[in-house]
Amino acid sequence: MFDFAADAVASSFLMNTSSLSIALVSLFAALIAVFGMIPKIDLPLGVPITLQTLGVMLAGCMLGPKRALQALLLFLAAVALGLPLLSGGRGGLGVFFAPASGYLIGWPVGAFVTGWMMAMLPKQSPRSAAMSAFAASAIGGLLVVHVFGVVGLVNIANLSWDQAIMGTLVFVPGDLIKCGVCATVVHTVARGLPDWRFGG
Amino acid sequence: MKSLYSEQHTWLHAVPAYAKLLFLALLGTGLFLTDQLMVLGASAMVCIAIFATLGWVTATAKPLLMGLVLACLLIAAFHLFMQHPVLAAITVLRLVSTTLMGFALTLTTRYSDLLHVFERVLSPLKSVGLPADRLALQLALMLRFTEHFFILWRRLDDAHRLRTGKPGGFKILAPLTIQMLVAARRVADTLHVRLRR
Repeated sequence: MFDFAADAVASSFLMNTSSLSIALVSLFAALIAVFGMIPKIDLPLGVPITLQTLGVMLAGCMLGPKRALQALLLFLAAVALGLPLLSGGRGGLGVFFAPASGYLIGWPVGAFVTGWMMAMLPKQSPRSAAMSAFAASAIGGLLVVHVFGVVGLVNIANLSWDQAIMGTLVFVPGDLIKCGVCATVVHTVARGLPDWRFGG
Repeated sequence: MKSLYSEQHTWLHAVPAYAKLLFLALLGTGLFLTDQLMVLGASAMVCIAIFATLGWVTATAKPLLMGLVLACLLIAAFHLFMQHPVLAAITVLRLVSTTLMGFALTLTTRYSDLLHVFERVLSPLKSVGLPADRLALQLALMLRFTEHFFILWRRLDDAHRLRTGKPGGFKILAPLTIQMLVAARRVADTLHVRLRR
């Protein structure tokens, strides 16, 4: 009788895990789409920041590597299907041939690496979770995405490696600010949802 | 959520989705394998001609076309400044050909037809544990909740403006994220009951 009950709970848990995965992946992809619709946020001195790459960092920190990868792949599939979900209302297959497409292809990989690092780093308290989120975002959401971006610029825009690296460095300060914002969001979520498992 | 697909029928609407995707994949691959200006120039002219035959349908792609023109101008200006005119021409011609055909495919192919092709292409991944048939459900959920979360963001922003006189900015991202996570748990429960997943 107890084996039967254990099986029922186990299979229920597995079914719940599958439905939770479907829901988290789909709804986080929706959140990333919304980040593309939100107007640029102006920092002091009038520096504009767009939010979609912040969505990549948050996906990794909140969902863990596998679900974050799936969320970004789902988002890019929707873009490829013709939905205008990128910031500025861009969408369709044409955007994957543009010089900045390296960054797009880097998003799922960056989210995976962010999630993988977040899973390994300490998260016992909201403060430690925030610090881990900053580190994970900087490696996955910033470094990995920019590496892919540089490769894209070299291959599509035919820039030299030095030119592509210099070009991408312009965006690094803004992305570092996003790492800080990601850490702040993780800190607030850790306090608001104490049972949330960061990093999956 | 309105896609970029145009309901006005053209000759390209009648071409099957898989054929258009295959053409785009072969074109993109082929153009990257050659540096011959004659070939790239001829390809660009053919692609511009194909795009032009779509007529008024291309009007909906105006923002995308502006983005393409801007990208071409920036890249050409940069390479010309570095005194590499041939490289400027090669890059711009490739960009024009592949991007215009990408736009043409998006304007003339239904989202459901493309989704069907994607599911067919991804179906072999089922054997390694990747359920491609979930794609349609996840896309539907994503689209449904994109509008919901955008409305939620507007409400949070309006409430912040009422309280402080300033836009919400970064301050409302954490409450928006928490609302998303809570919504995901409710949706998961509903899916579990409805689909027995």
